[in-house]
Amino acid sequence: MTDAADNRNYALYETIVINVARLVFLAVFFAAWEYIARNRIVNPLFIGTPSEIGKFLWNGLFVEFSLIKDLYWTLGSTFLAFLIGSVAGIITGLMFITWPWFERFSDPLFSALNALPRIALAPLFLLWFGLGIWSKVALGASLTYFIVLSSAVAGIRSTNADHLTLSRTLGASQGQIFTRVTLPSAVPTIFSGLRLGLIYALLGVIGGEIIAAQHGLGQLLSYLAGSFQISGVFAVLFILAILGTGLIALMSRVEKWLLRWQ
Amino acid sequence: MSGQGQLATDATVKPEAGGHTQLAAGAPELGNVSIRDLNHRFGSSVHAAADVFLNFAPGEFVSIVGPSGCGKTTVLNLLAGLLPVQEGTISIFGSPPKAGRHDVAYMLARDCLFPWLTAAQNAEFGARIRHADRHKRQARARELLEAVGLKGFEDNYPKALSHGMRQRVALARTFCLDSPLLLMDEPFGALDAQTKMQLEDVLLSLWMKERRTVVFITHDLAEAITLSDRVVVMSARPGKIIADIRIELPRPRSVTDLQKDPEYHKIYSKVWEKLEVGLRS
Repeated sequence: MTDAADNRNYALYETIVINVARLVFLAVFFAAWEYIARNRIVNPLFIGTPSEIGKFLWNGLFVEFSLIKDLYWTLGSTFLAFLIGSVAGIITGLMFITWPWFERFSDPLFSALNALPRIALAPLFLLWFGLGIWSKVALGASLTYFIVLSSAVAGIRSTNADHLTLSRTLGASQGQIFTRVTLPSAVPTIFSGLRLGLIYALLGVIGGEIIAAQHGLGQLLSYLAGSFQISGVFAVLFILAILGTGLIALMSRVEKWLLRWQ
Repeated sequence: MSGQGQLATDATVKPEAGGHTQLAAGAPELGNVSIRDLNHRFGSSVHAAADVFLNFAPGEFVSIVGPSGCGKTTVLNLLAGLLPVQEGTISIFGSPPKAGRHDVAYMLARDCLFPWLTAAQNAEFGARIRHADRHKRQARARELLEAVGLKGFEDNYPKALSHGMRQRVALARTFCLDSPLLLMDEPFGALDAQTKMQLEDVLLSLWMKERRTVVFITHDLAEAITLSDRVVVMSARPGKIIADIRIELPRPRSVTDLQKDPEYHKIYSKVWEKLEVGLRS
Protein backbone atom coordinates (compact mmCIF):
# COMPACT_ATOMS: atom_id res chain seq x y z
CA MET A 1 0.00 0.00 0.00
CA THR A 2 2.59 2.55 1.05
CA ASP A 3 4.73 1.39 -1.83
CA ALA A 4 1.92 2.07 -4.26
CA ALA A 5 1.26 5.45 -2.67
CA ASP A 6 4.96 6.27 -2.85
CA ASN A 7 5.03 5.34 -6.49
CA ARG A 8 2.03 7.50 -7.21
CA ASN A 9 3.58 10.45 -5.38
CA TYR A 10 6.77 9.98 -7.26
CA ALA A 11 4.93 9.89 -10.61
CA LEU A 12 3.07 13.08 -9.73
CA TYR A 13 6.29 14.77 -8.69
CA GLU A 14 7.89 13.74 -11.96
CA THR A 15 5.03 15.18 -14.06
CA ILE A 16 5.25 18.49 -12.22
CA VAL A 17 9.00 18.71 -12.73
CA ILE A 18 8.70 17.90 -16.43
CA ASN A 19 5.99 20.50 -16.97
CA VAL A 20 7.91 23.18 -15.13
CA ALA A 21 11.01 22.30 -17.15
CA ARG A 22 9.03 22.67 -20.37
CA LEU A 23 7.72 26.11 -19.38
CA VAL A 24 11.22 27.24 -18.43
CA PHE A 25 12.57 25.97 -21.73
CA LEU A 26 9.88 27.81 -23.74
CA ALA A 27 10.39 31.03 -21.75
CA VAL A 28 14.15 30.93 -22.33
CA PHE A 29 13.61 30.07 -26.00
CA PHE A 30 11.24 32.99 -26.64
CA ALA A 31 13.33 35.41 -24.58
CA ALA A 32 16.42 34.51 -26.59
CA TRP A 33 14.45 34.86 -29.82
CA GLU A 34 13.18 38.28 -28.75
CA TYR A 35 16.69 39.35 -27.74
CA ILE A 36 18.24 38.19 -31.02
CA ALA A 37 15.59 39.90 -33.12
CA ARG A 38 15.55 43.18 -31.10
CA ASN A 39 19.30 43.53 -31.29
CA ARG A 40 19.32 42.63 -34.95
CA ILE A 41 21.73 39.76 -34.47
CA VAL A 42 19.47 38.18 -37.06
CA ASN A 43 17.28 40.46 -39.14
CA PRO A 44 13.70 40.29 -37.74
CA LEU A 45 12.50 40.46 -41.33
CA PHE A 46 13.36 36.75 -41.47
CA ILE A 47 12.43 35.51 -38.03
CA GLY A 48 9.89 38.01 -36.70
CA THR A 49 9.71 38.81 -33.00
CA PRO A 50 7.75 36.86 -30.36
CA SER A 51 6.09 40.03 -29.05
CA GLU A 52 4.81 40.88 -32.56
CA ILE A 53 3.60 37.30 -32.99
CA GLY A 54 1.74 37.59 -29.67
CA LYS A 55 0.18 40.89 -30.74
CA PHE A 56 -0.87 39.44 -34.08
CA LEU A 57 -2.46 36.43 -32.40
CA TRP A 58 -4.26 38.62 -29.85
CA ASN A 59 -5.64 40.92 -32.56
CA GLY A 60 -6.60 38.13 -34.90
CA LEU A 61 -8.25 35.99 -32.27
CA PHE A 62 -9.86 38.44 -29.85
CA VAL A 63 -10.04 41.93 -31.43
CA GLU A 64 -10.57 41.81 -35.19
CA PHE A 65 -11.41 38.06 -35.39
CA SER A 66 -9.68 37.83 -38.78
CA LEU A 67 -7.84 34.66 -37.74
CA ILE A 68 -11.07 33.14 -36.44
CA LYS A 69 -12.77 33.72 -39.80
CA ASP A 70 -9.96 32.08 -41.73
CA LEU A 71 -9.79 29.27 -39.22
CA TYR A 72 -13.48 28.71 -39.77
CA TRP A 73 -13.02 28.37 -43.55
CA THR A 74 -10.08 26.00 -43.19
CA LEU A 75 -11.78 23.84 -40.57
CA GLY A 76 -14.98 23.66 -42.61
CA SER A 77 -13.12 22.59 -45.77
CA THR A 78 -11.07 20.05 -43.80
CA PHE A 79 -14.16 18.55 -42.25
CA LEU A 80 -15.90 18.22 -45.61
CA ALA A 81 -12.79 16.78 -47.25
CA PHE A 82 -12.40 14.26 -44.44
CA LEU A 83 -16.06 13.27 -44.50
CA ILE A 84 -16.27 12.82 -48.27
CA GLY A 85 -12.87 11.14 -48.56
CA SER A 86 -13.39 8.67 -45.73
CA VAL A 87 -16.97 7.71 -46.59
CA ALA A 88 -15.98 7.15 -50.22
CA GLY A 89 -12.90 5.21 -49.08
CA ILE A 90 -14.90 2.88 -46.82
CA ILE A 91 -17.57 2.31 -49.48
CA THR A 92 -14.91 1.47 -52.08
CA GLY A 93 -13.25 -0.87 -49.56
CA LEU A 94 -16.56 -2.68 -49.07
CA MET A 95 -16.99 -2.97 -52.84
CA PHE A 96 -13.50 -4.47 -53.10
CA ILE A 97 -14.36 -7.09 -50.49
CA THR A 98 -17.77 -7.86 -51.94
CA TRP A 99 -16.63 -8.10 -55.56
CA PRO A 100 -13.02 -9.31 -55.71
CA TRP A 101 -13.07 -9.07 -59.50
CA PHE A 102 -13.68 -5.33 -59.13
CA GLU A 103 -10.56 -5.00 -57.01
CA ARG A 104 -8.50 -7.02 -59.49
CA PHE A 105 -9.86 -4.92 -62.35
CA SER A 106 -9.21 -1.54 -60.78
CA ASP A 107 -6.04 -2.25 -58.83
CA PRO A 108 -3.56 -0.79 -61.38
CA LEU A 109 -5.75 2.28 -61.88
CA PHE A 110 -5.97 2.93 -58.15
CA SER A 111 -2.24 2.34 -57.69
CA ALA A 112 -1.42 4.84 -60.39
CA LEU A 113 -3.81 7.43 -58.97
CA ASN A 114 -2.46 6.87 -55.48
CA ALA A 115 1.14 7.18 -56.65
CA LEU A 116 0.39 10.49 -58.37
CA PRO A 117 1.54 13.42 -56.17
CA ARG A 118 -1.91 14.71 -55.35
CA ILE A 119 -0.87 18.35 -55.07
CA ALA A 120 -0.24 18.19 -58.83
CA LEU A 121 -3.99 17.92 -59.26
CA ALA A 122 -4.51 21.32 -57.63
CA PRO A 123 -4.54 23.35 -60.88
CA LEU A 124 -7.08 20.96 -62.35
CA PHE A 125 -9.30 21.09 -59.26
CA LEU A 126 -9.11 24.90 -59.30
CA LEU A 127 -10.28 24.88 -62.88
CA TRP A 128 -13.10 22.44 -62.17
CA PHE A 129 -14.32 23.62 -58.78
CA GLY A 130 -13.30 27.30 -58.75
CA LEU A 131 -11.49 29.42 -56.19
CA GLY A 132 -13.95 28.62 -53.38
CA ILE A 133 -13.77 25.84 -50.85
CA TRP A 134 -14.71 22.98 -53.17
CA SER A 135 -11.34 22.86 -54.93
CA LYS A 136 -9.71 22.52 -51.47
CA VAL A 137 -12.24 19.93 -50.38
CA ALA A 138 -11.48 17.93 -53.52
CA LEU A 139 -7.74 18.06 -52.90
CA GLY A 140 -8.07 17.07 -49.23
CA ALA A 141 -10.61 14.33 -50.00
CA SER A 142 -8.38 12.85 -52.72
CA LEU A 143 -5.66 12.39 -50.08
CA THR A 144 -7.95 11.01 -47.38
CA TYR A 145 -9.70 8.65 -49.78
CA PHE A 146 -6.75 6.38 -50.57
CA ILE A 147 -5.53 6.22 -46.98
CA VAL A 148 -8.94 5.22 -45.64
CA LEU A 149 -9.51 2.84 -48.55
CA SER A 150 -6.40 0.79 -47.86
CA SER A 151 -7.03 0.69 -44.12
CA ALA A 152 -10.66 -0.37 -44.67
CA VAL A 153 -9.60 -3.24 -46.93
CA ALA A 154 -6.88 -4.33 -44.48
CA GLY A 155 -9.32 -4.08 -41.56
CA ILE A 156 -12.04 -6.15 -43.18
CA ARG A 157 -9.50 -8.78 -44.27
CA SER A 158 -8.21 -9.08 -40.72
CA THR A 159 -11.42 -10.74 -39.47
CA ASN A 160 -10.60 -13.78 -37.33
CA ALA A 161 -11.33 -17.02 -39.20
CA ASP A 162 -12.61 -18.68 -36.00
CA HIS A 163 -15.18 -15.92 -35.59
CA LEU A 164 -16.42 -16.56 -39.11
CA THR A 165 -16.61 -20.34 -38.53
CA LEU A 166 -18.57 -19.81 -35.34
CA SER A 167 -20.96 -17.45 -37.12
CA ARG A 168 -21.46 -20.00 -39.88
CA THR A 169 -22.37 -22.75 -37.42
CA LEU A 170 -24.77 -20.37 -35.69
CA GLY A 171 -26.52 -19.78 -39.00
CA ALA A 172 -25.74 -16.05 -39.17
CA SER A 173 -26.94 -14.23 -42.29
CA GLN A 174 -24.53 -12.24 -44.48
CA GLY A 175 -25.90 -9.05 -42.95
CA GLN A 176 -25.44 -10.31 -39.39
CA ILE A 177 -21.90 -11.43 -40.13
CA PHE A 178 -21.11 -8.03 -41.57
CA THR A 179 -22.57 -5.87 -38.79
CA ARG A 180 -21.74 -8.10 -35.83
CA VAL A 181 -18.40 -9.63 -36.82
CA THR A 182 -16.63 -8.11 -39.81
CA LEU A 183 -17.29 -4.44 -39.11
CA PRO A 184 -16.37 -4.46 -35.40
CA SER A 185 -13.17 -6.38 -36.12
CA ALA A 186 -12.25 -3.85 -38.82
CA VAL A 187 -12.82 -0.78 -36.62
CA PRO A 188 -9.32 -0.59 -35.04
CA THR A 189 -7.56 -0.72 -38.41
CA ILE A 190 -10.04 1.64 -40.07
CA PHE A 191 -9.56 4.05 -37.22
CA SER A 192 -5.82 4.31 -37.62
CA GLY A 193 -6.55 5.11 -41.28
CA LEU A 194 -9.12 7.73 -40.30
CA ARG A 195 -6.71 9.45 -37.95
CA LEU A 196 -4.07 9.71 -40.65
CA GLY A 197 -6.76 10.67 -43.17
CA LEU A 198 -7.83 13.62 -41.04
CA ILE A 199 -4.28 15.01 -40.92
CA TYR A 200 -3.97 14.55 -44.67
CA ALA A 201 -7.29 16.29 -45.26
CA LEU A 202 -5.88 19.29 -43.40
CA LEU A 203 -2.68 19.08 -45.44
CA GLY A 204 -4.62 19.02 -48.73
CA VAL A 205 -6.81 21.94 -47.73
CA ILE A 206 -3.91 24.12 -46.57
CA GLY A 207 -1.94 23.23 -49.70
CA GLY A 208 -4.89 24.16 -51.89
CA GLU A 209 -5.39 27.43 -50.05
CA ILE A 210 -1.73 28.38 -50.42
CA ILE A 211 -1.93 27.85 -54.17
CA ALA A 212 -5.05 29.94 -54.75
CA ALA A 213 -7.97 30.86 -52.51
CA GLN A 214 -10.13 33.67 -51.22
CA HIS A 215 -10.22 32.57 -47.58
CA GLY A 216 -8.54 30.25 -45.16
CA LEU A 217 -5.37 30.00 -43.12
CA GLY A 218 -3.34 28.80 -46.11
CA GLN A 219 -4.35 31.82 -48.13
CA LEU A 220 -3.55 34.09 -45.17
CA LEU A 221 -0.17 32.40 -44.79
CA SER A 222 0.79 32.97 -48.40
CA TYR A 223 -0.45 36.60 -48.27
CA LEU A 224 1.53 37.36 -45.08
CA ALA A 225 4.67 35.74 -46.43
CA GLY A 226 4.30 37.60 -49.72
CA SER A 227 4.11 40.92 -47.90
CA PHE A 228 6.98 40.12 -45.51
CA GLN A 229 4.86 40.07 -42.35
CA ILE A 230 6.93 37.32 -40.83
CA SER A 231 5.49 37.62 -37.33
CA GLY A 232 2.08 37.02 -38.87
CA VAL A 233 3.39 33.94 -40.69
CA PHE A 234 4.66 32.51 -37.40
CA ALA A 235 1.35 33.28 -35.74
CA VAL A 236 -0.51 31.29 -38.42
CA LEU A 237 1.97 28.41 -38.14
CA PHE A 238 1.35 28.45 -34.41
CA ILE A 239 -2.42 28.21 -34.99
CA LEU A 240 -1.92 25.36 -37.47
CA ALA A 241 0.18 23.40 -34.99
CA ILE A 242 -2.50 23.83 -32.32
CA LEU A 243 -5.20 22.91 -34.83
CA GLY A 244 -3.41 19.70 -35.89
CA THR A 245 -2.80 18.70 -32.29
CA GLY A 246 -6.42 19.41 -31.42
CA LEU A 247 -7.71 17.28 -34.29
CA ILE A 248 -5.48 14.36 -33.32
CA ALA A 249 -6.52 14.65 -29.68
CA LEU A 250 -10.18 14.64 -30.71
CA MET A 251 -9.69 11.51 -32.82
CA SER A 252 -7.86 9.79 -29.99
CA ARG A 253 -10.75 10.57 -27.65
CA VAL A 254 -13.31 9.08 -30.05
CA GLU A 255 -11.06 6.09 -30.70
CA LYS A 256 -10.51 5.44 -27.02
CA TRP A 257 -14.24 5.41 -26.45
CA LEU A 258 -15.04 3.22 -29.46
CA LEU A 259 -12.22 0.80 -28.70
CA ARG A 260 -12.67 0.69 -24.93
CA TRP A 261 -12.68 -3.11 -25.21
CA GLN A 262 -9.08 -3.22 -26.42
CA MET B 1 -27.03 -29.36 -8.79
CA SER B 2 -30.16 -27.57 -7.67
CA GLY B 3 -32.51 -27.16 -10.54
CA GLN B 4 -33.99 -30.06 -12.29
CA GLY B 5 -35.61 -29.02 -15.45
CA GLN B 6 -35.65 -25.24 -15.19
CA LEU B 7 -33.06 -25.16 -17.92
CA ALA B 8 -34.61 -27.99 -19.87
CA THR B 9 -34.95 -27.46 -23.55
CA ASP B 10 -37.43 -28.54 -26.15
CA ALA B 11 -38.95 -31.92 -26.66
CA THR B 12 -36.17 -33.27 -28.87
CA VAL B 13 -34.16 -34.01 -25.74
CA LYS B 14 -35.44 -37.30 -24.39
CA PRO B 15 -35.56 -37.34 -20.61
CA GLU B 16 -34.43 -40.93 -20.04
CA ALA B 17 -30.80 -40.44 -20.89
CA GLY B 18 -27.61 -42.42 -21.01
CA GLY B 19 -29.85 -44.63 -23.02
CA HIS B 20 -28.89 -47.90 -24.56
CA THR B 21 -30.68 -47.33 -27.80
CA GLN B 22 -29.52 -50.35 -29.65
CA LEU B 23 -30.08 -49.50 -33.25
CA ALA B 24 -30.83 -52.30 -35.61
CA ALA B 25 -28.63 -51.64 -38.60
CA GLY B 26 -31.15 -50.17 -40.95
CA ALA B 27 -32.48 -46.78 -41.91
CA PRO B 28 -31.39 -43.95 -39.57
CA GLU B 29 -34.13 -43.29 -37.07
CA LEU B 30 -35.62 -39.89 -36.52
CA GLY B 31 -34.38 -38.37 -33.29
CA ASN B 32 -30.99 -39.94 -33.63
CA VAL B 33 -27.70 -38.84 -34.98
CA SER B 34 -25.93 -41.39 -37.12
CA ILE B 35 -22.94 -41.75 -39.38
CA ARG B 36 -22.82 -44.56 -41.93
CA ASP B 37 -19.95 -45.82 -44.09
CA LEU B 38 -18.27 -42.45 -43.98
CA ASN B 39 -15.08 -41.86 -45.94
CA HIS B 40 -13.34 -38.56 -46.31
CA ARG B 41 -10.21 -37.63 -48.22
CA PHE B 42 -8.24 -34.42 -48.51
CA GLY B 43 -6.68 -34.43 -51.93
CA SER B 44 -5.65 -37.81 -53.25
CA SER B 45 -3.20 -38.83 -50.52
CA VAL B 46 -4.77 -37.95 -47.17
CA HIS B 47 -7.43 -40.42 -46.10
CA ALA B 48 -8.82 -38.74 -43.00
CA ALA B 49 -11.77 -40.94 -42.11
CA ALA B 50 -12.25 -44.53 -43.21
CA ASP B 51 -15.50 -46.50 -43.02
CA VAL B 52 -16.74 -44.64 -39.98
CA PHE B 53 -19.99 -46.02 -38.61
CA LEU B 54 -21.43 -44.41 -35.47
CA ASN B 55 -24.75 -43.89 -33.75
CA PHE B 56 -25.43 -41.33 -31.08
CA ALA B 57 -28.44 -41.94 -28.88
CA PRO B 58 -30.45 -38.96 -27.63
CA GLY B 59 -28.89 -37.55 -24.47
CA GLU B 60 -25.73 -39.56 -24.87
CA PHE B 61 -22.30 -38.10 -24.16
CA VAL B 62 -19.83 -39.62 -26.63
CA SER B 63 -16.14 -38.79 -26.86
CA ILE B 64 -13.97 -39.53 -29.85
CA VAL B 65 -10.28 -39.97 -29.04
CA GLY B 66 -7.37 -40.77 -31.28
CA PRO B 67 -3.85 -39.75 -32.17
CA SER B 68 -3.46 -36.33 -33.70
CA GLY B 69 -4.25 -36.25 -37.41
CA CYS B 70 -6.52 -39.31 -37.24
CA GLY B 71 -9.52 -37.43 -38.59
CA LYS B 72 -11.57 -37.00 -35.43
CA THR B 73 -11.99 -33.28 -36.01
CA THR B 74 -12.88 -34.03 -39.64
CA VAL B 75 -15.73 -36.24 -38.43
CA LEU B 76 -16.95 -33.44 -36.17
CA ASN B 77 -16.71 -30.85 -38.94
CA LEU B 78 -18.71 -33.14 -41.21
CA LEU B 79 -21.38 -33.42 -38.51
CA ALA B 80 -21.35 -29.62 -38.20
CA GLY B 81 -21.79 -29.25 -41.94
CA LEU B 82 -18.55 -27.28 -42.21
CA LEU B 83 -17.26 -29.82 -44.75
CA PRO B 84 -19.28 -31.44 -47.53
CA VAL B 85 -19.90 -35.18 -47.11
CA GLN B 86 -17.95 -37.02 -49.83
CA GLU B 87 -18.88 -40.64 -49.26
CA GLY B 88 -21.38 -42.24 -46.93
CA THR B 89 -24.33 -40.72 -45.12
CA ILE B 90 -24.76 -38.59 -42.06
CA SER B 91 -28.16 -38.08 -40.56
CA ILE B 92 -28.91 -35.55 -37.86
CA PHE B 93 -32.45 -36.00 -36.52
CA GLY B 94 -33.44 -37.32 -39.91
CA SER B 95 -31.84 -34.78 -42.21
CA PRO B 96 -28.35 -34.23 -43.65
CA PRO B 97 -25.90 -31.94 -41.83
CA LYS B 98 -25.85 -28.26 -42.70
CA ALA B 99 -23.85 -25.44 -41.13
CA GLY B 100 -26.14 -23.09 -39.28
CA ARG B 101 -29.02 -25.42 -38.46
CA HIS B 102 -30.50 -24.43 -35.15
CA ASP B 103 -30.62 -27.90 -33.61
CA VAL B 104 -26.82 -28.08 -33.60
CA ALA B 105 -24.40 -26.04 -31.48
CA TYR B 106 -20.68 -26.07 -32.17
CA MET B 107 -17.90 -25.21 -29.74
CA LEU B 108 -14.36 -24.56 -30.92
CA ALA B 109 -11.01 -25.38 -29.35
CA ARG B 110 -10.21 -21.70 -28.91
CA ASP B 111 -12.63 -19.65 -26.85
CA CYS B 112 -13.44 -17.50 -29.88
CA LEU B 113 -14.99 -14.73 -27.81
CA PHE B 114 -15.58 -11.39 -29.46
CA PRO B 115 -13.23 -8.91 -27.77
CA TRP B 116 -15.65 -6.00 -28.25
CA LEU B 117 -18.46 -7.73 -26.36
CA THR B 118 -18.70 -8.16 -22.58
CA ALA B 119 -18.92 -11.62 -21.01
CA ALA B 120 -22.71 -11.37 -20.85
CA GLN B 121 -22.98 -10.17 -24.45
CA ASN B 122 -20.69 -12.96 -25.59
CA ALA B 123 -22.72 -15.53 -23.70
CA GLU B 124 -25.92 -14.46 -25.45
CA PHE B 125 -24.26 -13.95 -28.85
CA GLY B 126 -25.36 -17.26 -30.37
CA ALA B 127 -28.91 -16.93 -29.13
CA ARG B 128 -28.98 -13.40 -30.48
CA ILE B 129 -27.82 -14.50 -33.92
CA ARG B 130 -30.58 -17.10 -33.83
CA HIS B 131 -33.16 -14.42 -32.96
CA ALA B 132 -34.05 -15.76 -29.53
CA ASP B 133 -36.32 -13.56 -27.47
CA ARG B 134 -34.25 -10.72 -26.01
CA HIS B 135 -35.35 -10.96 -22.38
CA LYS B 136 -35.22 -14.72 -22.29
CA ARG B 137 -31.76 -14.94 -23.79
CA GLN B 138 -30.38 -12.24 -21.51
CA ALA B 139 -31.78 -13.92 -18.42
CA ARG B 140 -30.50 -17.26 -19.64
CA ALA B 141 -27.02 -15.88 -20.35
CA ARG B 142 -26.76 -14.43 -16.83
CA GLU B 143 -28.03 -17.64 -15.31
CA LEU B 144 -25.46 -19.66 -17.25
CA LEU B 145 -22.62 -17.29 -16.38
CA GLU B 146 -23.50 -17.86 -12.76
CA ALA B 147 -23.61 -21.62 -13.35
CA VAL B 148 -20.10 -21.59 -14.86
CA GLY B 149 -18.82 -19.59 -11.90
CA LEU B 150 -18.59 -16.13 -13.44
CA LYS B 151 -21.08 -14.24 -11.36
CA GLY B 152 -19.83 -10.68 -11.02
CA PHE B 153 -17.85 -10.82 -14.26
CA GLU B 154 -20.83 -10.24 -16.57
CA ASP B 155 -19.72 -6.80 -17.68
CA ASN B 156 -16.03 -7.59 -18.15
CA TYR B 157 -14.48 -7.58 -21.58
CA PRO B 158 -12.54 -10.75 -22.55
CA LYS B 159 -9.21 -8.94 -22.20
CA ALA B 160 -9.85 -8.82 -18.44
CA LEU B 161 -10.55 -12.57 -18.20
CA SER B 162 -8.11 -15.46 -17.87
CA HIS B 163 -7.97 -18.33 -20.36
CA GLY B 164 -10.08 -20.56 -18.16
CA MET B 165 -12.66 -17.85 -17.56
CA ARG B 166 -12.93 -17.17 -21.28
CA GLN B 167 -13.56 -20.83 -21.98
CA ARG B 168 -16.23 -20.73 -19.27
CA VAL B 169 -17.93 -17.90 -21.17
CA ALA B 170 -17.68 -19.99 -24.35
CA LEU B 171 -19.37 -22.87 -22.51
CA ALA B 172 -22.13 -20.51 -21.39
CA ARG B 173 -22.55 -19.31 -24.97
CA THR B 174 -22.86 -22.89 -26.22
CA PHE B 175 -25.41 -23.89 -23.58
CA CYS B 176 -27.36 -20.66 -24.14
CA LEU B 177 -28.42 -22.14 -27.47
CA ASP B 178 -31.19 -24.64 -27.10
CA SER B 179 -29.83 -27.09 -29.64
CA PRO B 180 -30.29 -30.75 -28.71
CA LEU B 181 -26.95 -31.70 -30.31
CA LEU B 182 -23.70 -30.20 -29.05
CA LEU B 183 -20.49 -30.65 -31.04
CA MET B 184 -17.31 -29.87 -29.11
CA ASP B 185 -13.88 -29.78 -30.71
CA GLU B 186 -11.28 -30.16 -27.93
CA PRO B 187 -12.78 -27.27 -25.98
CA PHE B 188 -10.33 -27.68 -23.07
CA GLY B 189 -7.31 -28.65 -25.15
CA ALA B 190 -5.40 -25.45 -24.51
CA LEU B 191 -5.94 -25.26 -20.74
CA ASP B 192 -3.63 -26.28 -17.92
CA ALA B 193 -4.44 -29.49 -16.00
CA GLN B 194 -6.09 -27.81 -13.00
CA THR B 195 -8.28 -25.45 -14.99
CA LYS B 196 -9.20 -28.29 -17.29
CA MET B 197 -10.54 -30.39 -14.40
CA GLN B 198 -12.56 -27.45 -13.07
CA LEU B 199 -14.08 -26.90 -16.48
CA GLU B 200 -14.86 -30.58 -16.92
CA ASP B 201 -16.83 -30.37 -13.69
CA VAL B 202 -18.66 -27.30 -14.98
CA LEU B 203 -19.44 -29.05 -18.27
CA LEU B 204 -20.72 -32.15 -16.46
CA SER B 205 -23.00 -30.14 -14.21
CA LEU B 206 -24.42 -28.17 -17.14
CA TRP B 207 -24.95 -31.34 -19.13
CA MET B 208 -26.54 -33.25 -16.22
CA LYS B 209 -29.30 -30.63 -16.02
CA GLU B 210 -30.37 -31.03 -19.62
CA ARG B 211 -28.89 -34.25 -21.01
CA ARG B 212 -28.38 -33.13 -24.55
CA THR B 213 -26.53 -35.28 -27.05
CA VAL B 214 -22.83 -34.39 -26.98
CA VAL B 215 -20.11 -35.36 -29.43
CA PHE B 216 -16.84 -34.45 -27.76
CA ILE B 217 -13.49 -34.56 -29.56
CA THR B 218 -10.37 -34.83 -27.43
CA HIS B 219 -6.86 -36.26 -27.47
CA ASP B 220 -6.96 -36.66 -23.69
CA LEU B 221 -8.10 -40.15 -22.73
CA ALA B 222 -8.62 -39.29 -19.05
CA GLU B 223 -10.91 -36.45 -20.05
CA ALA B 224 -12.88 -38.67 -22.42
CA ILE B 225 -13.47 -41.34 -19.75
CA THR B 226 -14.33 -38.81 -17.07
CA LEU B 227 -17.02 -37.14 -19.14
CA SER B 228 -18.52 -39.74 -21.40
CA ASP B 229 -21.08 -42.51 -21.61
CA ARG B 230 -19.10 -43.95 -24.50
CA VAL B 231 -15.56 -43.53 -25.73
CA VAL B 232 -14.86 -44.11 -29.40
CA VAL B 233 -11.21 -44.77 -30.26
CA MET B 234 -9.92 -43.96 -33.73
CA SER B 235 -6.70 -45.28 -35.26
CA ALA B 236 -3.97 -43.26 -36.88
CA ARG B 237 -4.59 -42.29 -40.49
CA PRO B 238 -6.61 -43.58 -42.25
CA GLY B 239 -8.86 -42.97 -39.24
CA LYS B 240 -10.85 -46.11 -38.54
CA ILE B 241 -12.91 -46.84 -35.45
CA ILE B 242 -10.99 -49.48 -33.50
CA ALA B 243 -12.98 -49.49 -30.29
CA ASP B 244 -16.30 -48.25 -28.99
CA ILE B 245 -16.35 -48.63 -25.23
CA ARG B 246 -19.21 -47.97 -22.86
CA ILE B 247 -18.08 -46.26 -19.65
CA GLU B 248 -20.12 -47.70 -16.80
CA LEU B 249 -19.16 -45.17 -14.16
CA PRO B 250 -22.15 -43.96 -12.16
CA ARG B 251 -23.44 -40.42 -12.51
CA PRO B 252 -23.30 -37.76 -11.23
CA ARG B 253 -19.52 -37.93 -11.44
CA SER B 254 -17.05 -35.72 -9.69
CA VAL B 255 -13.87 -35.15 -11.65
CA THR B 256 -11.66 -34.96 -8.57
CA ASP B 257 -13.20 -38.03 -6.89
CA LEU B 258 -12.69 -40.08 -10.05
CA GLN B 259 -8.93 -39.55 -9.81
CA LYS B 260 -8.93 -41.78 -6.70
CA ASP B 261 -11.50 -44.31 -8.00
CA PRO B 262 -9.91 -47.73 -8.81
CA GLU B 263 -12.76 -48.55 -11.20
CA TYR B 264 -11.86 -45.43 -13.21
CA HIS B 265 -8.23 -46.50 -13.44
CA LYS B 266 -9.23 -50.00 -14.55
CA ILE B 267 -11.30 -48.54 -17.37
CA TYR B 268 -8.49 -46.17 -18.20
CA SER B 269 -5.93 -48.94 -18.72
CA LYS B 270 -8.42 -50.96 -20.74
CA VAL B 271 -9.12 -48.09 -23.12
CA TRP B 272 -5.45 -47.15 -23.19
CA GLU B 273 -4.57 -50.62 -24.54
CA LYS B 274 -6.93 -50.03 -27.44
CA LEU B 275 -5.51 -46.59 -28.07
CA GLU B 276 -2.00 -48.02 -28.03
CA VAL B 277 -3.00 -50.40 -30.79
CA GLY B 278 -4.32 -47.41 -32.69
CA LEU B 279 -1.09 -45.52 -32.25
CA ARG B 280 0.95 -48.43 -33.49
CA SER B 281 -1.06 -49.07 -36.64
